[in-house]
Amino acid sequence: MRAPLTLVTVPIVILALGSSVTGSAAQIRGDDLPVHEVRLENGLLLLVLPRSGAPTVSFVVQYKVGGVNEHLGTTGIAHLLEHLLFKGTTTIGTRDHDAELPLFRQMDAAQDTILALRGGASPDTLRLEALSERVRTLEDSARTFVIPNEFAEILSRNGGRSLNASTTNESTLYYVELPSNRIELWFALEADRMTSPVFREFHTERDVVMEERRTRVDTNPDGLLYEQHLAAAFTMHPYGVPVTGYMSDLESLTRPEVEEYFRRYYGPNNAVVAIVGDVDPERVEALARTYLEGIPSREEPPPVLAVEPPQRGERRIEVEFDAQPSLRMAWHTVDAFHPDMPALVMLASVLTGGRSSRLYRRLVVEDRIATQVLSSLGPGDRYPQLFQISAVPLASSSVADVEAAIQEEIERLREAPPDDDELERVRTRIEAGNVHRLQSNLGLAFQLAGSAALHDDWRTTFRLSTRLRDVTPTDVQRVVDRYLVRSGLTVGVLVRSAGEDDEP
Amino acid sequence: MTTRTTVALSVLALALVAGRSTGQEAPLGRERIENLDFPPLRFDPPVPTVHELAGGVPVLHLEDPTLPVVDFIIRFRGGYERFPRESYAAATALPTLVRTGGSRRLPPDSVEALFEIYALQTTFGGGGGNSFATLSVLTERLEVGLELWGELIREPGFDPDQVEIWRGRALENALRRTDDPAVLAYSTFNRIMYGEHPIGWELGPDDLDPEDLGLERLEELHRRLYCRGNMVLGVTGDVSWDEIDPLLTAMLEDWPECSEPLPPPLVPEIRTEEGVFLIPRDLNQSTVVMAEASDVHQDDDDYFASRIGNSILGASGFASRLMARVRTEEGYAYTASSLWTAPRRGPGLVGAVTRTRSEKTVSATRLLLDVIAEMSQSEPTDDEVLRTVEDFANGFVFNFQSPAQIVSRQTLYRLIDLPEDWLERYLEKIQDVSPSDVREVFRTHVHPEEMVILIVGDPDAFEEPLEALGPVTVLE
Repeated sequence: MRAPLTLVTVPIVILALGSSVTGSAAQIRGDDLPVHEVRLENGLLLLVLPRSGAPTVSFVVQYKVGGVNEHLGTTGIAHLLEHLLFKGTTTIGTRDHDAELPLFRQMDAAQDTILALRGGASPDTLRLEALSERVRTLEDSARTFVIPNEFAEILSRNGGRSLNASTTNESTLYYVELPSNRIELWFALEADRMTSPVFREFHTERDVVMEERRTRVDTNPDGLLYEQHLAAAFTMHPYGVPVTGYMSDLESLTRPEVEEYFRRYYGPNNAVVAIVGDVDPERVEALARTYLEGIPSREEPPPVLAVEPPQRGERRIEVEFDAQPSLRMAWHTVDAFHPDMPALVMLASVLTGGRSSRLYRRLVVEDRIATQVLSSLGPGDRYPQLFQISAVPLASSSVADVEAAIQEEIERLREAPPDDDELERVRTRIEAGNVHRLQSNLGLAFQLAGSAALHDDWRTTFRLSTRLRDVTPTDVQRVVDRYLVRSGLTVGVLVRSAGEDDEP
Repeated sequence: MTTRTTVALSVLALALVAGRSTGQEAPLGRERIENLDFPPLRFDPPVPTVHELAGGVPVLHLEDPTLPVVDFIIRFRGGYERFPRESYAAATALPTLVRTGGSRRLPPDSVEALFEIYALQTTFGGGGGNSFATLSVLTERLEVGLELWGELIREPGFDPDQVEIWRGRALENALRRTDDPAVLAYSTFNRIMYGEHPIGWELGPDDLDPEDLGLERLEELHRRLYCRGNMVLGVTGDVSWDEIDPLLTAMLEDWPECSEPLPPPLVPEIRTEEGVFLIPRDLNQSTVVMAEASDVHQDDDDYFASRIGNSILGASGFASRLMARVRTEEGYAYTASSLWTAPRRGPGLVGAVTRTRSEKTVSATRLLLDVIAEMSQSEPTDDEVLRTVEDFANGFVFNFQSPAQIVSRQTLYRLIDLPEDWLERYLEKIQDVSPSDVREVFRTHVHPEEMVILIVGDPDAFEEPLEALGPVTVLE
């Protein structure tokens, strides 16, 4: 089943990565790729990597904005904006923009009245219903001027593939692949979108986003547990707030709020463009200067200053759902720039990286109490993250058995570091992974854009493996001791609702 | 009205649709985009060489020295659909257990350690139709990696502990099948439509007694499926044919012949009676699945019109009618799509799926039926057909993105007896499809009033009783 636009943030799962390789593979580093790097006068960073092969090109635009740049009351706005940026511009997706504009204003006014009424002591439900109907009628009237999905259709007719977007805690990405004779089409469309987007079909798209939330969270036991677990682990940092947004916030978002959010965060100085494939970097740079350099830069977005207070004791939550149980555990750690991060990444691999990892062997092979165990660092990069472990217990065991076994394995690491051979196997996998990660144009474009957006240097992502190589067994033991402590632990358990049949 | 779409394309030198004229002076927006001029795209996709080794095993090879990596794929004809129900669990488990169960010489732990030391990346998979295994190995480890991978596939150990782990996981998956409403809907729908045919089977406790996964049964299935006359191999990457030939010859020379031909796959009998089914679940969103049997086959003349029609209806994302109406216009759903399977033998399915908030369940279901019905009532526009062809033609080059992708596709065609230029023929044929062909294929083969409809959701929250769609059978 194809799910079109939008992929809300998912944690990066550290699974089988890489290995200890000598010779040519170890020399493939990635940070010496011939990336053509240009900073346009308006601050936009352009990264171009020419690659031989089929005449195709992958495009990624990454804006340094996401769920962390929201506030209670407007949660989900970054994600809704991502959807609305496929609705066209003043000339794309419309037959007559001048004619639709007054209808937008009338809808916005009606929506303001609805919100004011809802906030009152005893809302007049009849009036609210009438106003909602008025908004629907106005949107239907405005729809007569709409050319539906024209932005996507233009790309599709021109052979576009992988058209999609995603919103994470810290970034919003838009991407597509095109035949390499269509490079200028991408610049023309994207420049137009950066300059003159129109958030038409606003209320209908808000309904679509609410449906996405129902699919990914409300009716999905894993999604629900993940959201509730983060909310328990973070008491005030925005990492605890879902990128999809809360339903009541989604119902209250307005078009002017989204327009303001776009103005504030979507300046070219807050964007990275990565283009990888069958391209001539000089020509791409010329196109970037033609199409993108004239877009005015904006004020720097306000920084996120929230700091999660230290956790003062273990937290436990239960989430009820009509489903079999599952377990999530998380400890507060550090941000992606911290010197301890490489050791934490190695720890994740030691614990759950492949069939010979400690937790897989203990839970799945030896004790046979779980079908699956994963670990990850997340939910973002820029601010202190969680070290997370999730496990799916077998029906013949209990969540408590699984949690106890995980704690025992962590204690083993606290008492004795992993041996050199164990870490060497992890390094080998990582270095082999370095070769494989160079195989896909789109994958490379994501890496370049992501690294430049987070670290201000596209090379940093490739240099992580060098930092991982330097991690020693005692480093791994030290981060276990420092971060995987009881007082910083949050446990989330999915349980069947009280009174529901426990049988399959 | 009959308009033939024309997209100029020579298969090996792609000259894709060009724009009209150059024009950099126009302001940003529609005018600028419509005036863009695209140069022709010329591309000669690499073509694999085909060899035969060990008395008839086809091997496709395509050298690509870009990275120090060699990729292999081996495909085997046949899967659980060829065997009776008592072999269902073992045939389903076979690819995983070949990977995890060690070899006759090496226990699983040793295999895992070697895979890690040599940084071998593998996938093993399969289903009812056929199975496959892949290997990605650094060139410097080619010889040892290939030897280990080949040993695992040729002489699997089926370690009893790994068999038991697989069995436990399968039992757990069966228990968890009802956790996700979409998984529940699709698996139940298959059972309703396909009954006792393997496509309708679901692994359950009755299939998963220890003896169902006995060593003898696993070895027998392995002998029948993973044998020399039943396989196709593909190799791409940083290795020449002269280098890989002796290594593959060594791997294949002792590979056992197939003892007897596989039985042909059973042809399913799909339910033909319409009906509305409900699985009650206390959720705020309903999953809606609908379909009926289709008698369009891949070798029929109607096939290409059915592909274009399915794309216009709901298989082309935002360009499709279902997405335009259900998502963009009504805001009923995050996604809505159609399916139209056209197997080479036996019936397929044609229908649609979506997920919508409880209070729009009946409305969204009706809308799916209406949009399907409209495909029979009037021809799609010329532009809808042209757009679908352009999407495929202009994106054709994405079928040749990497040597591994090319070889993987060619090995599959060879395994299922499709001509190696099937993709090029497909491109040619869809350009001959007219709007009237599309209406005709829907009129002849698609009957919304005969759809079987399954809904997983909370009937108390529906906007009107589900009986409005017909008599309802409640499934527990």
